Amino acid sequence: MGRISGERIIFWTLPAVAIIWILAFCLFPGFLPPMSPTSSAGDVARFYQEHTARVRYSMIVLNWFCVALIPILMLIVERMRRMAHRTPIMRYCMIGVAGAAPIVFLTSSVFWLLAAFRPDRAPDLTQMYNDLAWITFTCGVPFLVGQCVFLAISIGLDEQPQPVFPRWVASFNIVIALALIPAAFAGLAHTGALAWNGFLSFWVKNVAIALWIIVMSVVLAKALQRDVAVAGAAA
Amino acid sequence: MSLPLRDDPKRELWYAWYAAVFFYTLYSVIFFLVTHVQPPGQPWYTPTQVTHWFAHYHNGLLIGFALIFALGGLSATSIALITYSIRRMSVSRAFAYSYLILYAVSAVPGFLFICVAMTAGTFRPDRDPQLQQWLYDFGFLSFSGTMGVFLIGSLIWMTAILLDKNRVFPKWFGYLNLCNALTEVVVAPSWIFYRGVFAWNGLIAWWIDVFVFGIYTGVFLMLLRNMILREDFGSGPLPELPLLARQAPATLELAS
Amino acid sequence: MTTIETAPPTPPVTETKRVPGQPDMWVFVIFESLIFTAYFAVYLYYRARHEAAFLAAQSHLELWLGVLATIALLTSSWSIARCVQTARAGRYKTAVRDAYLTAGFGVVFMGLKIADWVHQIHLGNTFTSSQFFQYYFFLTAIHFVHLLIGFVVLGVLLYQLSGAERRSQEIVETCATYWHTVDFLWVLIFALLYVVR
Repeated sequence: MGRISGERIIFWTLPAVAIIWILAFCLFPGFLPPMSPTSSAGDVARFYQEHTARVRYSMIVLNWFCVALIPILMLIVERMRRMAHRTPIMRYCMIGVAGAAPIVFLTSSVFWLLAAFRPDRAPDLTQMYNDLAWITFTCGVPFLVGQCVFLAISIGLDEQPQPVFPRWVASFNIVIALALIPAAFAGLAHTGALAWNGFLSFWVKNVAIALWIIVMSVVLAKALQRDVAVAGAAA
Repeated sequence: MSLPLRDDPKRELWYAWYAAVFFYTLYSVIFFLVTHVQPPGQPWYTPTQVTHWFAHYHNGLLIGFALIFALGGLSATSIALITYSIRRMSVSRAFAYSYLILYAVSAVPGFLFICVAMTAGTFRPDRDPQLQQWLYDFGFLSFSGTMGVFLIGSLIWMTAILLDKNRVFPKWFGYLNLCNALTEVVVAPSWIFYRGVFAWNGLIAWWIDVFVFGIYTGVFLMLLRNMILREDFGSGPLPELPLLARQAPATLELAS
Repeated sequence: MTTIETAPPTPPVTETKRVPGQPDMWVFVIFESLIFTAYFAVYLYYRARHEAAFLAAQSHLELWLGVLATIALLTSSWSIARCVQTARAGRYKTAVRDAYLTAGFGVVFMGLKIADWVHQIHLGNTFTSSQFFQYYFFLTAIHFVHLLIGFVVLGVLLYQLSGAERRSQEIVETCATYWHTVDFLWVLIFALLYVVR
């Protein structure tokens, strides 16, 4: 079994990161309620003029911390070492998508910050940055979907008496992946459930992400505990 | 309930390989046939012509890129397989991890930006045409003109193959990586010209380049398949292709 | 693995090699040559369409610079061929000297090329100034990149020659094949850009 020193420290960054994200999410004036794709350029420009400070501060925080989940994802990848796999291929798939996923949030925060940087510019330009931010943020789910699918398959392949993660975690990941997929189609609608402020693309997607973080952290904590016990027994 | 190929120890490799083939097929169909971004739109279009281009391909662009938004994560399977192949070689693991990181990041210019830019362009048809043209440029140039990641990645794989003593890949494929890396150099002028053979849709910067890349991709998918067929999960040189290699993977008998 | 044991025996590897160096390098040579042929075809096609403009632009080229560069590269090919011969005869010290000679002529070529580029840029002919010079700078630059790779290949060659336990004649010949290809491509480029009028 590999070295596990320091893993608990990484793990306990998770609640801190979660709190920071939730704060940033609530501070950003465009999420609650989510901005509408049908707003005119003038309305969008006015939004950024009225809420400049809140947009900037919330997005600066998101920009700092959007990569903060990577260490946690790597904890999961480390747990995968004990799965009954013949090759590291599933871990490589996980690392591959984990590397790209934060760039989605990073890019969207950059676009939102750009929109808020010069609130007095031509409204058309502000609207374009706003569109780019929302499309990146909403539709940018491929790596999260990939992550869920790879994890589900990894668990499915982990056929041993005491699997690293319980079977239901695989089904849960498939459900989350399915919940994220509608958001990929947000570009097709300006109103309704698929629009970027709609039920499927905004609420279901973001709640699914939050749920994944909460459930996986509980599951990860159990797996970590067991690995600590195993390492302790071996010592 | 168990996943397919239950008795095949190589099944995770086969899952990854079939997923990679599926991904590249999907990618080609969507980029070439559904969204019509390959071959690319003309770089010399005026803003008005760009707006018409977005309108003309409206549905294909939105649906095609939505599918990529949903399924693009599968690109990681091809990267994972290649990383695994490098790890199977006699070279330092630094090569494998470098490749993994370089190509994990490559997904961003590789499809994310063009998806975002083209969706944004199609999404609001009444946007100022000058802005439409900016999105059009952003989409095509971020896709065709981003070379560093692929250049360095190909060189890393090439060096690993040429140094490898485990015969994971034939040496000629190492040299083919050099050809592929050079196509990244050749595409660089697309940032300078919007007409002629070096434009982002030009004879040299696009047609010849994509032809080379297409051959390269087909070849490495086939070589990865051969590698999986030969794999014996040991260390040291990979065995030759078994004579019964053309059988389906599940019925392949391994050495007892 | 009984199936392997009863399989018909593979024909024995013949003693005489059919190509010098790794056959794999020849795959590269052929593939790169095909790509360059495609580039040349594109160049000739557009040249035929704008003959007058191309001729006018070509007149700015200094033929003697091109000839000197070609001579330098051809001489380097001669010295690397000698290197292969002396290596095969076991005279490694001489082979190393020949390899350095090759590198030296390669550097001379590089210097002449850069002088040519600087000269053209001073005349106002840049990558973007005219169609002919688009092709001129593109072809010479992509060849230059191949030459730089050639220096890496020479490094591999020297590494092979300088260690008694490493001296693989196959790798020596493979490196020489690459260098000859660089020379061969230059001769074609020189002919197309400087001579064909």
